[in-house]
Amino acid sequence: MEYSQHFLYPSSFFASREPYVVKTVLGSCVAVCLWDPTLRFGGINHYMLPYWTGTDLASPKYGNIAIDKLVEKMKFMGCRVEDLQAKVFGGGELIESVDGRSATQIGLRNIEVAKNMLADYGIPIVSSCLGGKRGRKILFFTDTGEVRHKYLEKRSL
Amino acid sequence: MDNTNITDKQLLKVLKQRLEEKSDIEKRFAELQAEHQSMGKRLKDSEALKSHFISNVTNEIVNPFTSIIGLSKAILSVEKQDWKKIVSMVALIHNEAFNLDFQLKNIFTAAKIEAGEILPNVQKVHIRQLVQGVIDSFSIVTRKMGIDIEFDYEIQLGFGEKDYYFNTDAEKLKQIISNILNNAVKYSYKNSKVIVKCWIDDDLLYISVQDFGTGISEKNQNIIFERFKRLDTGINSINQGHGLGLSIAKALLDVLEGQMDIKSVKGEGSTFTISIPRLKVVNTDPFGGDDGGMFFDTDDDVDLF
Repeated sequence: MEYSQHFLYPSSFFASREPYVVKTVLGSCVAVCLWDPTLRFGGINHYMLPYWTGTDLASPKYGNIAIDKLVEKMKFMGCRVEDLQAKVFGGGELIESVDGRSATQIGLRNIEVAKNMLADYGIPIVSSCLGGKRGRKILFFTDTGEVRHKYLEKRSL
Repeated sequence: MDNTNITDKQLLKVLKQRLEEKSDIEKRFAELQAEHQSMGKRLKDSEALKSHFISNVTNEIVNPFTSIIGLSKAILSVEKQDWKKIVSMVALIHNEAFNLDFQLKNIFTAAKIEAGEILPNVQKVHIRQLVQGVIDSFSIVTRKMGIDIEFDYEIQLGFGEKDYYFNTDAEKLKQIISNILNNAVKYSYKNSKVIVKCWIDDDLLYISVQDFGTGISEKNQNIIFERFKRLDTGINSINQGHGLGLSIAKALLDVLEGQMDIKSVKGEGSTFTISIPRLKVVNTDPFGGDDGGMFFDTDDDVDLF
C-alpha cells in the first residue's frame, strides 16, 4: 500500500479518506486517534493542555477543543459518531519535581480530558498507551486504524 | 426483629454517620454550584467579548472603506492646479488601507489558529532584512506621528559569513514583530521613539521592541494576552485594533517554540522581548526521523495498537 505522509504538529489535527501515515511525537501531550471501521478511515489530533480557559484563542492546543474539532471533522467526512473507535496515546509526566512526582500533572490531566470526553460521546477506547515518564513516537495508519508506538529515550524530550 | 433492639448508643452512632454523609454531600453540592456559577459568569463574559468584537470589527472594516471610497472620489474631482492636495489624500488612503490590511491579516490568522491550521514552515531567514522590512512597512504611519524607529542590529557575523540566517518561519515571525511594533507605535506619544533590537544569546534569537509611551500597570500586564482585551490608551480618542494582536503573537510564538517577556512601568513605557530557538527543518518523511536516523530504527521495541 502506498501511503502519503503527514507530520502532525502540536495544536493541530488531521483526518483523511485517503490512506495516510501520520507521524507525531508526544511528551505530556495527548493524541486521540479516531477510526471508523465501517468507512475504514480515520483522523488524529495532538493537544498540549487539557481545557481551554476562555482567555486564549480557542485553538486545538486544548484537549476539549481538539477532541470536539476532530469528532466534528469525522462527522463532516461522513462518519457516524456511534461507529467510531478511539485509541489514545501520550500524557507522560516528563517534568518531575523534587519528590519525584510531577508538579503540574499536565499529562494526567490531558489523559482525563480524553477519557471524559470520549465517554460523553460514547466512543469506546479500544486501546491505549498512556502516562509513564517517557515521551513517545507514534505512527497512525488512517486506513487500517493501526498504530505503531515506540518509547523515546528519556533525554530526547 | 433484631434490628429493633438496637441500643440508643448504636442509634446515635448511625445517625451521626448519616449526618456526616449528608454534610459531605452538601459541601460537594456547594462546590459544584460555585463551579457552575463561575462557569456561567465566564460564558457571559465570553459572550460580551464576542459581541464587542463584532461591533469593533464592523467599525474597523466599514469605516476605513468609507474613507477610502470618499478620498478616492475626492481625488477624481481634484482640479489639475490643485495636484498637491492629492499627495496628502493618498497618504490618508494609504493609512486607512494599511490598518485595514493589518486587522484583516490578524483576523484571518486568528481564524486559522482556532481551526488548528497553523503549521510551521521553516526556512533559512535573513533576520536583518525581515526586521527592517517590518519597520519599513510602518514608515508612513510613524512619520505622521513623528515617531522615530531606531533599529539596533547587534548580531556579529562569524568569520567568512556575509549574511546572518536563522532557521525559523519567516511569515509568522513577521506577523509577531508587526503586532508588537504596532502596539509600541499605538501606545507611544507623538514625537517620541521606538527602539527595535536584535541579538543572539546562547543560540537563541532575541528581538525586543521598546517604546516610551503610556506603559502598562502590573495588573494589566496579566490581561493583555487575553483575546479581545484592549487597554484604554488615553492617547488617541479612537483606539484602533480589536485586541487580538498579542494573543495572536503569543499563539504564533508557540508555533515557533518561543517565549515573550514584558517589562513595563506605567508612565514610562514598555519593552516586549521575544526569544526563539533555531528550528529544525522538519523531515516530513515518517520513516526518516528528525534525528537523521529512522523514525523506528529497529522493530524490537515497537508496539502495535
